[in-house]
Amino acid sequence: MSMLEVKSLRREFGGLVAVHDLSFNVEDGEIVGLIGPNGAGKTTTFAMLSGFLPPTEGEILFKGKRINGLKPHQVCHLGLTRTFQIAQPFPELTVLENVIIGAYTRHPDAKVAQEKAMAVLRRVHLAHKAEALGRELTLLELKRLEIGKALATEPSLLLLDEVAAGLKDSEVDDILSFIRQLNQDGITFLIVEHLMKVIMNLSQRVIVLDFGQMIALGTPEEISHNPAVVSAYLGKEG
Amino acid sequence: MVFSLALLGQALVTGLLIGGIFSLVSVGLSMIWGVMRIINFAHGEFLMVAMYIAFFLVAKGGWDPYLTILVTAPALFLIGMLIFQLTIRPILKDPPINLILLTVGISLILQSLALMFFKADVRSANTIYTHMNIMLGSVVIRGPQLISFVGAGVAALALYWLLHKTDIGGAIRATAQNSAAATLVGVNVRNTYLLAFGIGSASLGVAASLIIPFYYASPTVGQFFGLIAYVVVVLGGLGNFLGSLIAGLIIGLTESVGAAVLPGSLARLATFGLFIVMLLFRPQGILGGKQR
Amino acid sequence: MNELIHKIPLLLMVVVLVALGLPSFAGEYVIHIGVLILFYAYMAVAWNILGGYAGQHSLGHALFMGIGAYTSTYFFTVLGITPWIGMWVGCLLAGLVGWFIGFMCFRYGLKGPYFCLVTIALAEAAVYLVTNLDFLGGSQGMEVTWTGNAPRMMQFNGKTAYYYIILVMLAAAVMLSARIIKRRFGYQMVAVRENEDAAEALGVDTLKVKIQATVISAMLTALGGTFFAQYFTYINPRAVLGEDPSIQILLFAIIGGTGTVWGPVVGALVLVPMAEYFRSTLGESHTGGHILLYGVLMVLVILFMPNGILGLYNKVRGQILHAGLREKKGGAV
Repeated sequence: MSMLEVKSLRREFGGLVAVHDLSFNVEDGEIVGLIGPNGAGKTTTFAMLSGFLPPTEGEILFKGKRINGLKPHQVCHLGLTRTFQIAQPFPELTVLENVIIGAYTRHPDAKVAQEKAMAVLRRVHLAHKAEALGRELTLLELKRLEIGKALATEPSLLLLDEVAAGLKDSEVDDILSFIRQLNQDGITFLIVEHLMKVIMNLSQRVIVLDFGQMIALGTPEEISHNPAVVSAYLGKEG
Repeated sequence: MVFSLALLGQALVTGLLIGGIFSLVSVGLSMIWGVMRIINFAHGEFLMVAMYIAFFLVAKGGWDPYLTILVTAPALFLIGMLIFQLTIRPILKDPPINLILLTVGISLILQSLALMFFKADVRSANTIYTHMNIMLGSVVIRGPQLISFVGAGVAALALYWLLHKTDIGGAIRATAQNSAAATLVGVNVRNTYLLAFGIGSASLGVAASLIIPFYYASPTVGQFFGLIAYVVVVLGGLGNFLGSLIAGLIIGLTESVGAAVLPGSLARLATFGLFIVMLLFRPQGILGGKQR
Repeated sequence: MNELIHKIPLLLMVVVLVALGLPSFAGEYVIHIGVLILFYAYMAVAWNILGGYAGQHSLGHALFMGIGAYTSTYFFTVLGITPWIGMWVGCLLAGLVGWFIGFMCFRYGLKGPYFCLVTIALAEAAVYLVTNLDFLGGSQGMEVTWTGNAPRMMQFNGKTAYYYIILVMLAAAVMLSARIIKRRFGYQMVAVRENEDAAEALGVDTLKVKIQATVISAMLTALGGTFFAQYFTYINPRAVLGEDPSIQILLFAIIGGTGTVWGPVVGALVLVPMAEYFRSTLGESHTGGHILLYGVLMVLVILFMPNGILGLYNKVRGQILHAGLREKKGGAV
């Protein structure tokens, strides 16, 4: 049984079809990339997977269980957590408190939640910033916090939405190795990215979307030589 | 429940005429909301201020009530802009609740000042128009109400002309649609907000002058009209000009017909009920306006 | 400044001691002011749970106050049942109404200004509804008939007993408030306030949290309504329902500082004596002076210290105490 099974997913907005007959699987322990030009439907797909948007048609099975139509917090409880492209910290809470929110999802007890949150902070190298406010962090720290919050919910599958956007080269490497480490610790990833470096270095498989449809599926090597993929990117603003 | 066709006819006519005023009072609120996403909770109190100005000009100065528009409209325009500049502009980027609370504070200030200076008495101006009536069968059309309806219509047309045929109006509409894009084409968004707020307030000046012949000025008159304005704006769609006009008439009718048909103040309840239902199930109004 | 900041906890202890012993050395009028302070502090703390912690600013909270006041008064004057029982009936009723309102509003995604509008509409609609109900006294309101000193019926000679009742109520409300904020529910409320989508994505059932906050807040507010009825012995629709008392309640929370445990208390502590002073000196000649005070302070607070008095105090204290340790981020808002 695959961790995530997406079957004929479709999403319409009025007359516009944003995602059209999308099907793919994500296996336990994989890092799968999801790429495509702007407007290809990546964000819409993420929204549907995480429960923020109901699909117009199609099914999503997570660990064998139907999750389409569930609310985001329910999906999170089942083990699928997403991050946001534009980092969404709780601005007036401290970094620690930010993460505790996630920890509370698994651990209702205040003391335990705090301990787990501190552990997560250490893992994302933000322990020294535990008392800083959410709105006082640098971009890299915000990204780490975003991942930290998600980690605190102890997910099996983590959806990362353009986690590398806006980061400097060295910071990107930082995030890359971090995700790799988390993957080795047992977390499955589905990553939306624009930065080819991230996709090529990280993903074992890549799904390519264009105009809401999957136009290619394969290893990074394979899809980088796929003519349909190349033209999709060259034909519009990448 | 005394029910008769004549009574219903009277209620319909009165409701329509009053509805015209409701429309005028609300159209400014709708525009301000549409442009800068602020619900001015002091909207009713602005009307109150204008009504006091009109009242004193008529009662102490012997002015013709409709001529007071020459004073109330500019006065409210300036007062609106002053309040905007001093209190609202500095916090435009704050969370919306701050703007709401600020305007609540302003409404408290205005109400209390009126209470302190003019006491709780109601002030009605007895003018030559006050007892002018036209008979249409058995239906009485009160002169001042008819004039206010016509005046509101003229004012609405003028506002429409302003919004659609002038540069300022274009800037206001552009900013309402997309303030970022408006900036790009050279619109000074902050100043546009200022002007829109001023114009919305000025429309209240006009409304006040139109209704002073048959409505009392009192410290609490703003609360009533303020509430009506919220209902009308939500019903018509936030930011939807035509919607506010139509919704104003509808609410005027429901208030008037409701009062004739239902006992006590249950008509008001019906209005609120409609309001709540709209907010829950169709917040964009019957004609569709701007969402959040 | 440094010295002053460190002296504040000491000052607070003095205030608490004075509060505890006030009736033994103060005259009836001062005790009355004390009751007012405690009462409005209580109501503000109750409001703060929904408005401050959960960030859903109800501008019509007097609805719940009215439910509490009318229920207990009806039970007492018409059914002869003691307010000590009636208050819990009112509390439960308010909880039910709060649940229903919360469910309808938040299920349909009402937020921000729209939620404010609905709460005002509900409170005002309640005024008109009750005005039309003769068994609740209509526009004349209801009087809590005085049967002499009757503790079993929550009626006492003098003001001292009332003072201690509301003191206990406030203490309980503050303790509840403090406990909530440290536990999961409190954190989840704050998360919903700060960023609802992010909270959902992290597993917070935002609908449930908002409804629960509404219910708790409503129930507490209703209990306050009963106290109001018993202390002032007269209620009418405009006094315990509608926009005006609703705004009064939240004023103290906003000015004192929402989202904190003690903010609403501070707000009442500072404002009520000022308002009473205005009311008594300007009194007959200039009624409404205290409302002017409220309005001016509200505007000033929003413009210059939106986190309220306590918010400002915390900020200054934080800056002084952690001046060296805190990493100053340039341009922090």
